[in-house]
Amino acid sequence: MRVFRDLFWFFRQEKKAYMTGVLLLVVVAFFETVPPKVIGILVDHMKNGTMTRGVLVRWLAVLAVVAAALYGLRYAWRICIFGAAVKLTRQLRNELYEHFTKMSPSFYQRKRIGDLMAHATNDLQAIQQTAGSGILTLVDSLTLGGFVLATMAVSISWKLTVISLLPLPVMAVATSRYGTILHRRFVTAQAAFSSLNDKVQESISGVRVIKAFGYEKQDVEAFRRQSEDVVAKNIAVAKIDALFDPTIGFLVGLSFFLAVAFGSEMVLTGELTIGELVSFTTYLGLLIWPMLAFGWLFNIVERGRASYDRVRALLAEQDEIHEAPDAIDVPPRGDIEYDIKRFVYPGEMRTALSDIRFRLKSGATLGVVGKTGAGKTTLLRLLLREFDGYDGEIRFGGHDIRSYTLSALRSAIGYVPQDHFLFSASVRDNIAFAQPEAEEKEIVRAAQLAHIHEDILQFPDGYATVVGERGVSLSGGQKQRLSIARALLTNPEVLILDDALSAVDAKTEARILAALKQERRGKTTIIAAHRLSAVEHADWIVVLDGGRIVQAGTHEKLVAEDGWYRDMHQRQQLEAFVEGSQIGGMA
Amino acid sequence: MNGQTLTAKEQRRVLWRLLSYMGRYKKEAALAFFLLLLSTAGELAGPYLVKVFIDDYLMPGRLAFEPVAALAAAYLGVLGAKTVITYFQLVEFQRLALYIIQALRMDVFSKVHRLGMSYFDRTPGGSIVSRVTNDTEAIKDMFISVLAVFVQNGLFVIGVFITMFVLNVRLALFCLFILPAIALIMRTYRRYSSVFYQDMRERLSELNAKLNESLQGMAIIQAFRQQQRLYREFAAVNEAHYRAGMRNIRLDGLLLRPAIDVIYMVSIMVVLGFFGISALESPVEIGVLYAFVNYLERFFEPVTQMMMRLSLYQQAIVSASRVFALLDREEEAPFHPEQAPYTIERGEIEFRDVSFSYDGKRDVVKRVSFVIQPGQTVAFVGHTGSGKSSIINLLMRFYEFDRGDILLDGRSIRDYSRTELRRRLGLVLQDPFLFYGTVRDNIRMYNETIDEERVRAAARLVQAEPFIERLPGGYDHVLAERGATLSSGQRQLLSFARTIAADPKILVLDEATAHIDTETEEAIQEALARMRKGRTTLVIAHRLSTIQDADQIFVLKRGEIVERGTHQQLLAQRGIYYQMYLLQNGLVDARR
Repeated sequence: MRVFRDLFWFFRQEKKAYMTGVLLLVVVAFFETVPPKVIGILVDHMKNGTMTRGVLVRWLAVLAVVAAALYGLRYAWRICIFGAAVKLTRQLRNELYEHFTKMSPSFYQRKRIGDLMAHATNDLQAIQQTAGSGILTLVDSLTLGGFVLATMAVSISWKLTVISLLPLPVMAVATSRYGTILHRRFVTAQAAFSSLNDKVQESISGVRVIKAFGYEKQDVEAFRRQSEDVVAKNIAVAKIDALFDPTIGFLVGLSFFLAVAFGSEMVLTGELTIGELVSFTTYLGLLIWPMLAFGWLFNIVERGRASYDRVRALLAEQDEIHEAPDAIDVPPRGDIEYDIKRFVYPGEMRTALSDIRFRLKSGATLGVVGKTGAGKTTLLRLLLREFDGYDGEIRFGGHDIRSYTLSALRSAIGYVPQDHFLFSASVRDNIAFAQPEAEEKEIVRAAQLAHIHEDILQFPDGYATVVGERGVSLSGGQKQRLSIARALLTNPEVLILDDALSAVDAKTEARILAALKQERRGKTTIIAAHRLSAVEHADWIVVLDGGRIVQAGTHEKLVAEDGWYRDMHQRQQLEAFVEGSQIGGMA
Repeated sequence: MNGQTLTAKEQRRVLWRLLSYMGRYKKEAALAFFLLLLSTAGELAGPYLVKVFIDDYLMPGRLAFEPVAALAAAYLGVLGAKTVITYFQLVEFQRLALYIIQALRMDVFSKVHRLGMSYFDRTPGGSIVSRVTNDTEAIKDMFISVLAVFVQNGLFVIGVFITMFVLNVRLALFCLFILPAIALIMRTYRRYSSVFYQDMRERLSELNAKLNESLQGMAIIQAFRQQQRLYREFAAVNEAHYRAGMRNIRLDGLLLRPAIDVIYMVSIMVVLGFFGISALESPVEIGVLYAFVNYLERFFEPVTQMMMRLSLYQQAIVSASRVFALLDREEEAPFHPEQAPYTIERGEIEFRDVSFSYDGKRDVVKRVSFVIQPGQTVAFVGHTGSGKSSIINLLMRFYEFDRGDILLDGRSIRDYSRTELRRRLGLVLQDPFLFYGTVRDNIRMYNETIDEERVRAAARLVQAEPFIERLPGGYDHVLAERGATLSSGQRQLLSFARTIAADPKILVLDEATAHIDTETEEAIQEALARMRKGRTTLVIAHRLSTIQDADQIFVLKRGEIVERGTHQQLLAQRGIYYQMYLLQNGLVDARR
């Protein structure tokens, strides 16, 4: 029940809804005790021959009023309590989202997106259950159970009440026990299902290999074995799940038996009228739900607590990136100086960067090359202040980048990441991502610079074409060029291209680079690339290996000296030729 | 394809097709239904016995021990029996549902493996996976919590009415009003809930899609400082979801339990009114009244249950229609006889005027003809889109060619059984795909005739053994997801070993060295040279240096072979290949 205390802030926030709802539930519970009473009274009149038209009409009228009142009240408490619970999820979901937007990449390195999604869906669902059904069950089982018990004991017979209720506590205990076992088996069955899912995923991704080896039949067999395991585990769940109804039915039947057996004796001794016995059994029927509910309540609350704890832990996560209290709120401009002794990714052992020292003049172009994993991307990400925990400093415009506000720093930078991520939105909205109010003219201009304008015109709806996961599929090169257009739109002080031209053919690459050179005169550009042609014209090139700068200089200098750069240059020219796309310096 | 586009008629057809699966489990179904009949009868017997007791013994006040004890014993006996039978009945229904889903899943998965590559090239993998698992899971939920509940509760409702008619025909007739009343509420509820509920689900999936996308693109959102704008957008969708949720709560409040409860109260009033009016004239049977009240009390919970499950039904039908659409796809893989007497012994390959197009309009392979002698190595050279991968797709029978013929050992490839072809043709792909499992499993795959010695011999031949033995557990090392912990070179060596272990007659290398880092390049080349020994080999290569010793080289351009010959012959032709050679030599000079 601790979860109710933990959620108390919310109950207080929505106190009007909850107080009204609970009050209504109490009234409903009271009204529910009326019909059995009326049945008993009328039965006695029938039995004793005292029935008159007036009596009948009066009591039926009472029932009609109660029925109408119950309808209205039941509707109303649902709006109050369930409505408040939905409000809670809305609020928590917004809080989670806002929290996510504040977390830096090290957070996303630690967490898997699937898990974060699960928190925002399943956990919120469980919390909603607690704040809605949980409260309902708690209040309802207490009040309805209490009222019915009181009516039975006080107005009919406390002796008979005690006797006939003997089997019911067993029910609460049994169902709650079943619930625990069921949950455990259910988790096992879910795990089997998700590994079946993995299996299918693997078969589909590896379908070419399976077909090449002609193992279709064997793979179907393997699938059969695994899916039969899923069936077996689900039958294990069913075997527990099927215990609920019979157990409840049996104990309720026993209760009725006791009530009728002992009640009849009391009728014969005159302790009870026959009408009272009939209404007593009807009350018994009313008690089933509160009893059951109590068993449920524990499950709901248990799950709700676990979920709420997880969500709270998530919301309590502190980010490593902090803005200084007196941070500079003016976008930086000027030279960029790297002076990093050592950087290790949080939670890793391997040094990602060490002894990185260079100065990039404002307006110059820097090329960063090296093998995969040499540290190119890391170098760029530090400038964006995605990580803070390095030994040394990066100065931009004379100040440590950590002394700017995040917003000021990032507004000076246009970033084209390696994995070109587009949103499920129109081409227009994707390009105008950083500046949604940008004019059509500016958007087209950015697209032209990135050499994607012509392609866009070919799309089914031009600039209104929806791209991204749920839109038309684009080639890797088109996605990259859209990402470039997106970064160019704000005309940033510094443009970072992180292997952003790898999927673009050499001719287009050359054109884009030429356009950038022209357009971005006087502005700083940093290009990390696998293909050396992208950095040939840079003012300065650094070659990284194992997180260190192993070579540095202009293209001409690097080609002339023995080393990785020259080897790579020769190899790539050959490959480019075999691919059939002629590039400069090839004749 | 979504919920709204299915007409009522289509929905019914889908439902029938689903139910037809029950035919495969006649015995199980019969047992489940038989148990259900028994347990329903047991359920109904209880109040009836109490009625007999009240009217025949309690009211007249003659409580002879024996008959009353017999009645009590009967009540308890029925209660016990009913409890046990109900348990098995519930288990049997779930078992039946699970078997049906298992059958459906097997059908879908087998179908998927019968489909040709054209299907996989056109359909996102994720959606195929969903068909096999998630959609069938939704159908399972429907079988268990909708169909079973409907059958069980429906039978109970019918039983209640039969018993009421037995007890008192006139009163039972009065009570018949319940049925149209419930039907009306159900229909109204269904009409709105199918819209409201669907709406809420769509909002929810929109919400989740948005969240998922934001989480994936968070680096971009932060780099472009759009956190607040996206938060506002998210909050707007969240708000819409909240409103849809409230709408559902209101609908449930108006038409679900509260409404059903009103009908219950009215029916109680009818029963009381009926007996009350009768009592004005003559004494009434209190026991019958007891039984009626008791039956009515139990009657309505199942009804509410059924209504609450309606939305699940809707979803399951949509899922089922998607599954059936997959089962009805016709792009099956190229046909081969199950069994054929022919075997491939020599490994001679001939393409005779082969043409092929993916879309039926533009040929990507145009009247290609060539002969490869057994044991020869031939190479295909050309740009992306020149048709070299398509030629391999045709030889591997991933696609059916349109015109011409492919002959292996002088016989049309179509005459061989699929098993024979797969056994003799070994393909190594650009992206080595490793499965979850041990190194050994990945080399052996499903072929149980490959013993430990052959696995090791294969690994040794391609020089993969040294690094395998360095892995924890060696051949028993369990590979992480897709072999993520291995380098791409190591992964490729494993896939070589896999191919060699199967001992094919014809080896097909589809840019097998494209993604290899320099460090492993030499080992790979060495391994390839050994693999080719005694096998007919087709190579597609990016790097010319790897194919110089080929017996024949075909230069492809726009689906046609434009140059062919040995390295020397091609140089003499002074065409595209010659240019490449010059470039290569130039580079060699530059290196010196």
